[in-house]
Amino acid sequence: MVKSRDGVVRSLGPYLLLSAVLMAAYLYLPSVRTVAQSAAVIGIPVHFLASLPSTALKGMQGHLTTADQLRSDFEAMRQRNLILQARLHRFEFLENENARLRELLSAMPSEAEQVTLAALLAVNPDPAALAVMINKGSADGIFQGQPVVDSGGLVGQVTKPSLFFSKVSLITQEDQAVPAQVARSGLRTVVYGSGSGRLLRVPYLDRNADVRAGDLLVTSGLGGRYPPGYPVARITAVERNLAEAFMTITAEAASHLGRDREVLLLWLPAKEATALQDPMETEEDDD
Amino acid sequence: MISVSSAQHRSWIPFATVFVALVLLVIPAPELIRGFLPDWVSLVLIYWALALPDRMRLPLAWGVGLVIDLVVLGIPGVHALSKTLLVYLAKHLSLRVRAYPLWQQSVVIALLLGIELILFVIVDFAVTGNMDEVHRWTAVIVGGLVWPLVYFALRRSRHLANLGR
Repeated sequence: MVKSRDGVVRSLGPYLLLSAVLMAAYLYLPSVRTVAQSAAVIGIPVHFLASLPSTALKGMQGHLTTADQLRSDFEAMRQRNLILQARLHRFEFLENENARLRELLSAMPSEAEQVTLAALLAVNPDPAALAVMINKGSADGIFQGQPVVDSGGLVGQVTKPSLFFSKVSLITQEDQAVPAQVARSGLRTVVYGSGSGRLLRVPYLDRNADVRAGDLLVTSGLGGRYPPGYPVARITAVERNLAEAFMTITAEAASHLGRDREVLLLWLPAKEATALQDPMETEEDDD
Repeated sequence: MISVSSAQHRSWIPFATVFVALVLLVIPAPELIRGFLPDWVSLVLIYWALALPDRMRLPLAWGVGLVIDLVVLGIPGVHALSKTLLVYLAKHLSLRVRAYPLWQQSVVIALLLGIELILFVIVDFAVTGNMDEVHRWTAVIVGGLVWPLVYFALRRSRHLANLGR
């Protein structure tokens, strides 16, 4: 028995050591991380082949749509565009007003955010599908922790940038937390991922807090990672239990969570993180 | 590691099967079945470790694991370690398991995949602090169930490659 145990140690030991050293180096040495990011380019052919079926399917859908369908789609888009234009004019007005009020408060003006459009790769890096791949990487200036949004709202953050593509962790991952506030009442909280589907958890709200089903949660900007004002989730159910201090709240993610074809990557203006601190509130928001 | 490369022995075929498994691993699947899909690379590695235990060297398994880590942008070393353990166990059991009927092989394969998953979860938890992968135990059972399919497909490829036992 002793001999066979020796054999196990001798044959598996080096690999255990090698892997452990590699993991530690990756976690603690930025240079090793850079090398790993560049080495990840060997994944590109694999990604390309894996995305072929869905790309082909999309291409076929394009061929199969009839002229009538296209015309009606076009009409719908035109109408939507009109509505959005109208809303944009109102938004411009609000922006002006906002700038004026900020001046009155002599607060730092919030600079316009810089954005980049990235296409989603039809590649599934995570077995539970709580992460997506995008076609922009550190070569395009993408960095770890960068917020990602789509037309619906907050999608997640870049967790693993590589040279030409990056992994985006969705906010529904169990270890993701987003500082948020209820859009209607301004009540602040933290939204956690549930680890499955589109559901999110809002665990730490007092049972007397002003929250209802249907409320929209938007990013509060606290913590400095996500810019304020992006929709995070819509509350689907609020359960008040007198025996417990906190409410049981379930919410559904507001964004399409990587089901769109494109996402937007945001660059936070450098001053934003400090300017965000509301002078009226000094409470710490831990996420 | 497979050194024979004459026209008779098409030793690139095992590598090609691993590559196909790698592509299958990251292919986007419908939401309904996504959680149940087994780790194809593990199944393919097990097959080659059982069929050609002398040629399926541990460095090769470690290298394949590292490639997975790079392809899915994980932390390099996590898959490498779990795949090395998997291949080590499969190699040691190869003589016995090859004599088993197919259904019994399925049970052993599921056990091997389970051991791999446990190691993976422990290492992943130690490194990243999340235990999402625990939910993958259904994939372990499905992995055992689809083993006969993988077995026949890969046996065909082994005959094509002209690599004997």
